[in-house]
Amino acid sequence: MNGSDLAARTIGLGAAAAAVCLGLFFCMLSRSAAAHIISTGSGGFGSGFAHPLTGPDHFLAMFAVGLWGAQIGGRAVWTLPVTFPLIMVAGGAMGILGLPLPGTEIGIALSILALGLAITFAWHAAEWMALSLIAVFAICHGYAHGAELPLAADPADYVIGFVLATGLIHLFGIGVGLGLGKPFGGRLACGLGALIGIGGIYYLVQALSIS
Amino acid sequence: MSKLSPSREPHSGVLANAGTWSGPALAALGLLATATVGLLPAAGQSTLTWWILSSALAPERVLPLVGIGIASALVDFRYCLAALVLFGSGITIGFIAHDWLLSALETIPQATNQHFLIGPISSVAVGLALVLPGTRLRSWLLLFAAAVTGSLLAVSIKVTDPNLDDATIPLAGVFVGIWIVVSILLTARAFRRGWFLIPARIFGSWLIAIGMLYGGISLVPKHNPPLLSRATSTPNVMPLPEFDRLSPDFGGSQDGPVPEIPNENPRGFQQP
Repeated sequence: MNGSDLAARTIGLGAAAAAVCLGLFFCMLSRSAAAHIISTGSGGFGSGFAHPLTGPDHFLAMFAVGLWGAQIGGRAVWTLPVTFPLIMVAGGAMGILGLPLPGTEIGIALSILALGLAITFAWHAAEWMALSLIAVFAICHGYAHGAELPLAADPADYVIGFVLATGLIHLFGIGVGLGLGKPFGGRLACGLGALIGIGGIYYLVQALSIS
Repeated sequence: MSKLSPSREPHSGVLANAGTWSGPALAALGLLATATVGLLPAAGQSTLTWWILSSALAPERVLPLVGIGIASALVDFRYCLAALVLFGSGITIGFIAHDWLLSALETIPQATNQHFLIGPISSVAVGLALVLPGTRLRSWLLLFAAAVTGSLLAVSIKVTDPNLDDATIPLAGVFVGIWIVVSILLTARAFRRGWFLIPARIFGSWLIAIGMLYGGISLVPKHNPPLLSRATSTPNVMPLPEFDRLSPDFGGSQDGPVPEIPNENPRGFQQP
């Protein structure tokens, strides 16, 4: 293993560890926020922060975005996780406005499946293609979040919480991707992609059976 | 001269170490002070403590300041210094002209319901400075964002200050704001690496997303949300009891017409 590989793995594992630590920190902050800021109780920062972490479908998709970006490498390491929340805003606005978006659940399930497959086969897509795919998926996820926002007791703090949690999952994915990129020729990352893909199939079957 | 060198080297090493660790030390001291103040039972009853914990350290207030600290660490020293000066000038201008700024912000529809959109505007301004490519563009945007964030910090302090004639809370608010920016800036500059731009840009995109969604919620009138099936995970959105009837697909099970959700109370005015 040469020096740059070791540095990449160290940075990756360090980033993953930092994301976990930040997550724990914000979990503690969310309790403090619930006690001091959101006097209305649930539906504030804590709920928003916990939402992507406790919803396996959202967690898998966000994790896969970071992992895939790290697997592609180069600019994709940051362009994918940066694009996702920015486009998610458009989907969120559609949800807030109450505009119809049929097949949201199917879109979310497909996003997990597609990202899982992309990682499994180590698909080094062209940047524009990867960003386009991510944008479509981000609209589905943003729409689901936006539709829920008016129901939150404190929508503003809910937004802050879930965007922070989403970003931390991206960072965690990047860290894991950089850490697992080199050992065994990157097969560990591919294996994780396969597991994500299986999760996608499960959610797709669920979504299709409901629709 | 050669005899002086050995005695100077350890001294300069100590100074370099002090420079490196001043940021983390400042952050640790502030966090320790906050934790101590928050945990002391007597302090819990003080208006100042309540205000610091509920308003000065609210996520919407802290995140843009963290962004200013990070963005300042990414630019040249001259721009970094200019950003700090503009941040301080912005605070001063914000205190002097807060009436004018508030009346300007009031012209935005529904702005008064969400703390005059101070959080969203600051978040988007700082987020753009972090995300947009190009060192020169980032430097100029940082100057703009620092001035905007500083003036809006002062306005938010004035808006949430429960004491009209007491300078303690404004002083504490300014102190907390400067502490956040400087401790983040010193830490980030001391440990800056080549890959540092990646998490900084990602953080910038979070700030923009937070600002746009937060502002969007405030600007858009309340409506009945579209129906999503239970396949989408919505485990932690818990409507208040009086809102149970509003959400047949999110936990409620009532039939009949769905009334409008009333506006929430303005934020930042809760009593201890």
